Amino acid sequence: MRWLLRLLVSDQDRRSIDADLAELYDVRRRHDGERAANRWLRRQRRIYPWHLVMDRLQASVPRGNTMQHLWRDLGYSLRSLARVPALSATIVLTIGIGIGATTAMISVVRAVLVNNLPYADPSSLVWIYTDTPPYHFRLSVVDYRALEADHPAFSAIAAYQTNSVTVSGDGQAERVIARSVTGSYFPLLGQVPQIGRLFDASDDERRDRSAVLTYGYWTQRFGGDPAVLGRSITIDGSPYTIVGVLQRAVGPFEHGTAVFTPAHWPTPTRKGPFMTMVLGRVRPDISHAAALETLHATNARLFPIWRSSYQDEKATWGVQDLKDRVVGNIGSTLLVLLGAVACVLLIACANAVNLLIARALNRTRELAIRGALGASRGRLLQHLLAETAVLGLAAALVGAAIARGSIALVTRYGGDYIPRIDEVRLGGAELAWLGLLTLASGLLIGLVPAIHSSRLKITGALNAGGRSASDAPATRRLRRALVAAEFALATPLIVAAVLMTASLDRLTRVDVGISTARMLTASVSLPAGRYGQSADRQAFWKRALERISALPGVEAAALADSRPPRDSGNRNNFDLEDSPALPGQGQPVCTWVGASPDFFRTVGLRLERGRLLDERSLQDNSVVVDRAWANRFFPGAEVIGRRFKEGGCTTCAWTVVVGLVGNVKWMGLDATDDGTVYYPLVDLPAAYFVVRTAGAPSSVAASLRQAVAGLDPQLAVTDLATGDDLMGEALSQPRYLSVLIGMFAITALVLSIVGIYGVMAYFVQQHARDIGIRLALGGEPARVRRMVVLHGLEFVAVGVAVGIGAALLASRLLSSLLFGVTATDFRAIAGVPTVLVAVAVVACLVPARRAARLDPAQILRES
Amino acid sequence: MTPATLQHFELHVLLAMLREKGETYSVPLVLALEKRMDRPVAQAAVFIALRRLERKGLVVSRLDEPEGGRPRRYFKLTKQGLAALKAHRTEHARLWQGLGRLLGPRKI
Repeated sequence: MRWLLRLLVSDQDRRSIDADLAELYDVRRRHDGERAANRWLRRQRRIYPWHLVMDRLQASVPRGNTMQHLWRDLGYSLRSLARVPALSATIVLTIGIGIGATTAMISVVRAVLVNNLPYADPSSLVWIYTDTPPYHFRLSVVDYRALEADHPAFSAIAAYQTNSVTVSGDGQAERVIARSVTGSYFPLLGQVPQIGRLFDASDDERRDRSAVLTYGYWTQRFGGDPAVLGRSITIDGSPYTIVGVLQRAVGPFEHGTAVFTPAHWPTPTRKGPFMTMVLGRVRPDISHAAALETLHATNARLFPIWRSSYQDEKATWGVQDLKDRVVGNIGSTLLVLLGAVACVLLIACANAVNLLIARALNRTRELAIRGALGASRGRLLQHLLAETAVLGLAAALVGAAIARGSIALVTRYGGDYIPRIDEVRLGGAELAWLGLLTLASGLLIGLVPAIHSSRLKITGALNAGGRSASDAPATRRLRRALVAAEFALATPLIVAAVLMTASLDRLTRVDVGISTARMLTASVSLPAGRYGQSADRQAFWKRALERISALPGVEAAALADSRPPRDSGNRNNFDLEDSPALPGQGQPVCTWVGASPDFFRTVGLRLERGRLLDERSLQDNSVVVDRAWANRFFPGAEVIGRRFKEGGCTTCAWTVVVGLVGNVKWMGLDATDDGTVYYPLVDLPAAYFVVRTAGAPSSVAASLRQAVAGLDPQLAVTDLATGDDLMGEALSQPRYLSVLIGMFAITALVLSIVGIYGVMAYFVQQHARDIGIRLALGGEPARVRRMVVLHGLEFVAVGVAVGIGAALLASRLLSSLLFGVTATDFRAIAGVPTVLVAVAVVACLVPARRAARLDPAQILRES
Repeated sequence: MTPATLQHFELHVLLAMLREKGETYSVPLVLALEKRMDRPVAQAAVFIALRRLERKGLVVSRLDEPEGGRPRRYFKLTKQGLAALKAHRTEHARLWQGLGRLLGPRKI
């Protein structure tokens, strides 16, 4: 309590208070002895802060009868709640956690799903994509150039490409995310510079190498130094001049990006590749449908020009609201979580109402005496509400702390899963939500018990011996309905938790296809400036592999452009010789993985037929495919020797399938295998080293870095991850989600059990006389036990039945988060109610056994 | 100026101060009140009542911190404090007028 005292009283006064207390202590000790004096001093120290708090509260309000009553009530409530610490703490903590978690989830949902994107006139912004059902992908540079020349429905369009680049020069070389953007990009989003300038249309014409830094990167690498303007930084080996810093922005397009460069893309010789994100601002007088029509028309004019390198006649362009594109499919996850925390809050409220009604019932006589002494019903109501206000205020404080903590956790760890994470914060609107939730919970938990208690009949209550007058049928019904509601809310939560856990279990059992134990991977990217020629890159990779393979503790080393289980390099289209795509039809698409010859041996991927990639594969144009690919295109037939043309190129040479290997997960553990093509990786500008170690993989990390630095000290080795790390990352989102939902479900279960136990214990206490008579007349204890348990189960059953209905209704929302189990899985839908009822039986058995053991003689004597 | 309203306990503290004559601090007041009212009195209650009376302008205080000695906050009645007591006494005397015999002889 010293801290409270420090808060309320100046240092000088605190010293004088201590001195006065010491003096009084001496008087007491002389007069009453040391023990009594010690007791007195402890009490004085304990009550001091409360006297001060009450004084402050009284001093801060105008005088008036109601206000005086109110403050007296508040003081009285504080003292009376302090007398039942377990009950007060339960209510404050459960409701506080409920309010806090709900506020945090509301903040996330508002920032991600509700709020507009933080750009100028966000509702007219769209993403323009290549639409070839079922695929939506980016546009090519050819597409963008055509749109740039002809976009009647758009007031502006812009494009960018995202790359991982190495920034070197002053300081250590590091890998960062860079965007090459068109001159229209910043004006389209309505962004302004913090210092210097941003790009505009003139930068498209000028061919000079200039760079704009994001605010975050400017402060992180350059310490926010304004003198950075005009300085040169080296990006992928080429010098760039810093011309500006973007204002501090929290939008999704700045998240994780370090530097912007002007888009000086080479003039394309074919339609693809499709790597360009195109954004547009639809003109205010044009609808999305009309904009789409103009896009289709432009596309139709463009298609014949590039037919030689792209034949998919059905492919056209589509538009999607930019916010929908950014948010993606995270909506259902967030809504499930919001639903879960709201359930916990409602259960906490129902539980609090139940506990407070029980408390009010125990205080019936006290309230009746107050009424008999002249307190009006309104006055009694105010007195009872003051207690709720104290509880609500305390819960709001707990809630604010929980909300703050949760938001800090979410923004720190949720960046990989939640888009627009930088926009999540605890601001005024969120605090208003917290206030609203507190008010709603407070009214819910306060009004119901208060109205019930203040309505009691005075004479009845004073006359009634054991059973209170307010234990009316209406109150009993309400308490049971509350317990039923708790079970109805807990059931879908527990079903969801069971399903998520089962789904996670299935995911962890998915066979990745290769052994990830003792595996180390690391990324290296060769800057175009110094490794512009294919021969340079080939030479580097070859020497690096030789060095790494020779390191102590390394059993094998290889190169790949992808990492299992969810980091695949590319998805490409191709045209099979045996079943060519019909004119105007889309070609089949599958995953393409670039790999060095040793890759298969290094990761333990077994050859099933034919031969693996080798030194000649690049010249031979040979590839290896997996079983899923063979089953998809040549079910039951020989796959070795089949030929296809890559990427829709009609003039290229045939690519030949020379080997068949097992399936590997490249597109995520939950993705279906639709085939993989392994092609020889020889001269890619960026790749992963994949190393099989003899001992712990992390022990090789340092020597791997040294080996690369030995070849080229300016290269950054990044993304170091062991096989276990990669598996852990792939499972982290479902794991977090199931732990979260599991925690909510356990909270809900515990609260519901507390609820049913409380109601049944009270039932036995109130009916002790009836039960006693029954036992005295020869009733068997076993029957009494059964009666109590069955009585309790009546409303549990109703609650669980309603809950199962709710779980089935919510199954559609949930099913998008599940893998390997359906949202209506019979075992969960049937098993959860069984367990819930069993747990409820145990909770009811405690009061039931007490009832059966009642001594009839004693009860009848007492009454 | 309307005299400041006095709460029950504030009146007790003011009367104890009057009895102490001149400057005083919380300890003699606590002991005096306990003696007169024959029940324990919390120092916190007295201290807070004194600060409240100070806010109302009925007492003034000063902090005394002698070197090596105990720091003390001394309080003194103001003119308004004295006036409030007088007004209170007059009001009560009027209210009690003629009622004494109904309640029988006083016991102190």
